[in-house]
Amino acid sequence: MAPGESGQPQASGDSAPVASSPPLPPPEKPSAVRQRSYVVLSFWLVVLLLGLPIWWKTTAIYRAELPLDRMLKWADGKACRPVFPLQISIQADSLQEQEAQNLIRLTQHALDDLNDFSGHHLRLQLAPRNAPLPRDDFQTALTIRLKPGTSSSASLNQESAVLDITYPPNHVPSLTSPSSPLASYITNELRATFAEEQSIISYLLSTSSMSTGVRPQGLSAEAAEALSKRTTRSLRYAPTYHLTFSLFTDNALPNTWDIEAALDEYIRPMLEVLRPIHNFTIDTQIQLYAIPGVQSQVLSKDHLSSFINAAEWPLSPSIGKAPTINFVIYIGNQTVGLDAEAETAQSWMIPQWGTVYLLSQPDTESHVSTAALKQPMLTFGGHLLSLMGTPQSGSLPLRLSTLGRIRSTDLLLRASSTLGSLARLSLALPSISIPRSVADGVSKTMHHLELACADLGGPEGLMHARIAEEEAERAFFEKSMVGQLYFPDEHKIAVYLPLLGPVFVPLLMGLINEVKKFIKEAKQKAQEARSKKHQ
Amino acid sequence: MRSLLSFLLLAVPSALVSATEYHEQLNLRPLPLSALLASFNFRANTSIADFEAQNFRLFPRSLGQILQYAGTRELHLRFTLGRWDAESWGTRPWDGTKEGGTGVELWAWLDAETDQEADEKWLTLTNALSGLFCASLNFIDGTRTIRPVVSFQPEGDHPNTTLDNTRLLHGVLPHEVVCTENLTPFLKMLPCKGKAGIASLLDGHKLFDASFQSMAIDVRPICPSEGECVLQLEQTVDMVLDVDRSKRPHDNPIPRPPPSHDLICDTTKPYHKPDDSCFPVDHLRGQDWTLSQIFGRTMKGTCPLTDPEVPPVCVHIPSTRDIFSAQGAHEIKYPNNDSLRCYHIEQDKEFTLILTKPEAPVDGEVAPLGIVKPETPVLYAERSFTGHGQEHGGMQAILTNPGDDTVEFVYMESLPWFMRVYLHTLSARISASSPNTNTSAEIVKQIYYRPALDRARGTQLELLVSIPPHCTVFLTYDFEKSILRYTEYPPDANRGFDVAAAVITTLEPKAMNIRTTSLLLYLPTPDFSMPYNVIIFTSTTIALAFGGLYNILVRRMVGANEAPPAAIKDKVLGFIEKLKKKKRTVAAVAAGGSAKPATGKTEAK
Repeated sequence: MAPGESGQPQASGDSAPVASSPPLPPPEKPSAVRQRSYVVLSFWLVVLLLGLPIWWKTTAIYRAELPLDRMLKWADGKACRPVFPLQISIQADSLQEQEAQNLIRLTQHALDDLNDFSGHHLRLQLAPRNAPLPRDDFQTALTIRLKPGTSSSASLNQESAVLDITYPPNHVPSLTSPSSPLASYITNELRATFAEEQSIISYLLSTSSMSTGVRPQGLSAEAAEALSKRTTRSLRYAPTYHLTFSLFTDNALPNTWDIEAALDEYIRPMLEVLRPIHNFTIDTQIQLYAIPGVQSQVLSKDHLSSFINAAEWPLSPSIGKAPTINFVIYIGNQTVGLDAEAETAQSWMIPQWGTVYLLSQPDTESHVSTAALKQPMLTFGGHLLSLMGTPQSGSLPLRLSTLGRIRSTDLLLRASSTLGSLARLSLALPSISIPRSVADGVSKTMHHLELACADLGGPEGLMHARIAEEEAERAFFEKSMVGQLYFPDEHKIAVYLPLLGPVFVPLLMGLINEVKKFIKEAKQKAQEARSKKHQ
Repeated sequence: MRSLLSFLLLAVPSALVSATEYHEQLNLRPLPLSALLASFNFRANTSIADFEAQNFRLFPRSLGQILQYAGTRELHLRFTLGRWDAESWGTRPWDGTKEGGTGVELWAWLDAETDQEADEKWLTLTNALSGLFCASLNFIDGTRTIRPVVSFQPEGDHPNTTLDNTRLLHGVLPHEVVCTENLTPFLKMLPCKGKAGIASLLDGHKLFDASFQSMAIDVRPICPSEGECVLQLEQTVDMVLDVDRSKRPHDNPIPRPPPSHDLICDTTKPYHKPDDSCFPVDHLRGQDWTLSQIFGRTMKGTCPLTDPEVPPVCVHIPSTRDIFSAQGAHEIKYPNNDSLRCYHIEQDKEFTLILTKPEAPVDGEVAPLGIVKPETPVLYAERSFTGHGQEHGGMQAILTNPGDDTVEFVYMESLPWFMRVYLHTLSARISASSPNTNTSAEIVKQIYYRPALDRARGTQLELLVSIPPHCTVFLTYDFEKSILRYTEYPPDANRGFDVAAAVITTLEPKAMNIRTTSLLLYLPTPDFSMPYNVIIFTSTTIALAFGGLYNILVRRMVGANEAPPAAIKDKVLGFIEKLKKKKRTVAAVAAGGSAKPATGKTEAK
């Protein structure tokens, strides 16, 4: 303290006269000036050439390359034109070979003339003579058996995809005639048989974004509405469904049922038929003391949605990947009131969920027999088909093969639209990370989509469409894509500012000084040059 | 043929029906002071064939599917809250086999060829059960899972071939708070729900107000010597109610002293004076209650599915006490057990029990206890932390054998990985006050130890211990508390970390389970603004170093008197001066904008 105090006045006394006319420092050596320029320059080079790339590299978000154009093309329906060539073989053992060929030619002409939906194409071919009935393969959609008879009639075989047509002998076209009543009869029958499938598929195509090029063909507003109802009702496609049969009762009775026998008799045969398209697992349960959400005697339409007491009834979906379809039998004498006063019903379907059946039983009965279960089980069977989106008309085998084609189309459209969404998402959010697994999923999806598109009517097509849909969903719902989205900018500032603030101020000042000096020198040089010229 | 087949199919279910059965029973046992133990037991059997065909009747479908999906052979799940006061309440209900440590405890035998497969199935099982029971069971990960070697044995009957291919895994969640949301799914699993039978007494408010409560779910295959194997689901609720607290009216729950004229005083006390000083002996006279008072609701008949042979309600109380039951109930007394009374109940009638106040003893006579004296447990166990500072911890378990036989048991600990156990410090010594301190027998006979791996698995410690009669053993070991990573701390880090209860399985003289209380371990906890502090601190250091270095390199060194005027400083000062002047001129309304601001250069100097 003491020396400082003594030194202070002296120092100020010394500096006071100096301040009035500051002595200039000796001129700097040019080498020192140059050296300083190099220092500033090299610092900036390190920052720009080393720091910046490292920063860029370490903070960059990994975005795998996605084939965005092709993905959008799929979504817009430009990559694939859904075509369903349906092979229809005609067994005409009673006709001459040439007559049969002629008949097929005429019918094909008639079909082609009338067909207004190019994607759905019926191709006729003559079956080899005395061939056995075709098995249930997807190669042939339908077999027509022509038999001579007294009048024209057609009937669908209930066991397999066969259309039996009888015809009066005089309807057979002669080799030269340009038309024949039999050919037009077959044409009409075929068109009637496939009308529903055609409308469903064209509806599916028209509602999806793939609608370019495919107009809804001759669909009235009502028909479209019915179709949309049907499609929203049906469950999403899954290779396996889990069926849960539940018996609910509001007291302790009945508490046993012959469900195993009833299933064997009414449900399992149907599931066996569906097996080429879906697998099924089944469980059953009995729940006592279950009180429904609505207690009134006659259930109106508004009641139906709240009848299932979701909070208390253990109807949780089964674990595992398979979606669950619930079939509930509720023991009680309630009925469903329809619009007409007198009419009542026992069951109703809940879209994408299942069916409830109200079964009335005497209060004292403690057992539900197979006979009592017959009606509920048949109802459940019918509802199961419509929950899976099976068309309503036609014979069962035909409906199922149609179901396969509808499902393929549906899956193809879904996968394509998911691809489109993913492409749009990655365009819209530049800060989202796209891991490699997403790119892999996308390429797999596209590969399987192409394969599916090539064989849309067949079982291979269904399989590929299924894989494509799965992969597309997995890519779209990749978890690690979401995590990076919400990193607030405030945090970035909080992290960067303490370091970059103090470091960049001297760096910038140095640069500015250098630039100023440089400009000054350049000006000076120019002036000198000018003055030299003047001299 | 077809008709024969359908006949067979019809006949099979009715045969299965007889194989499935259901049974439920409530045991009430008054304990000293105002405690009352209520043990609910529900047992449902289903044939293995039905279970595998997924036809669920008495077995809940939700649980059945989980068991099948995760390949579970035997499952034990425990939800426990509170502490069993062994000193005054005696032995535990069911010999402690149906209770867990505080929080949630789960152990299961899973079908698995390899350990990896077992881990995958365990993950599925815990996740599915977590959804079913609304508990955070999904937090039972590798660090909370152990594979006990000697502590647990399967309770069910397993063929040896399947047992070879199963793995036992055990997980605990001591932090989990058991509450009503766990009771609701528990009740949903019962065939009669909470709507009829003894389950209608279970009310979340009373259950979780109890001094101790434990919910247990056990699934095990049972193969009777004759007949087919069945899968048994046993659900148990044990609760120790505080009768005084339960009897308090719902709308007036604050305890108030009784008026002085209602007080029952101990007249033998020398200081006893009527209306002045009183030693209350009310609680010593034995409890009195009605069933609806302590459970808050009446019992609604019986569950129609229950085995009619088994009486649904039993009370363990000396025959001298009077109990009145509701009309329609039928009391059974057992000649070989004087202190047990059971009641058969009509199906749809409400049932209640009234335990009356015992008659006041004649003066000078010692009042009878009025309850069945609780049995002394085979072993008392308590556990606590020792150690000092933020780093050095220690564990001490005090195990007392009050009986006349040597007690042999397995002491198992599942410790979190951040407790680094020093096994070499493990010591067991007999307390100096014990009668035979000079016993030469080894106390810890065998040790199964699986050390922890940081962030991968916890410590597993199983000790085979034997304690001579009337001895107290101190089991101690030291551990080190490790420092966690910033993100590994829970939001309430300063509360501490729960350490699961130790499980004691006695082998001699009889098999039973005891669990100690869980402990709260305080770990060194950082200040959670740390990352930003670190960023700012290091940034400042770097900036200082960089600034200094850069300035030395770039600046030109001149003498202090030769320094050129600081341009920026001058400019700033000049600017301020200018502003000031302008203000002054505006304020003074001096004419003309010609007021020349001083350059300030000289002033700055």
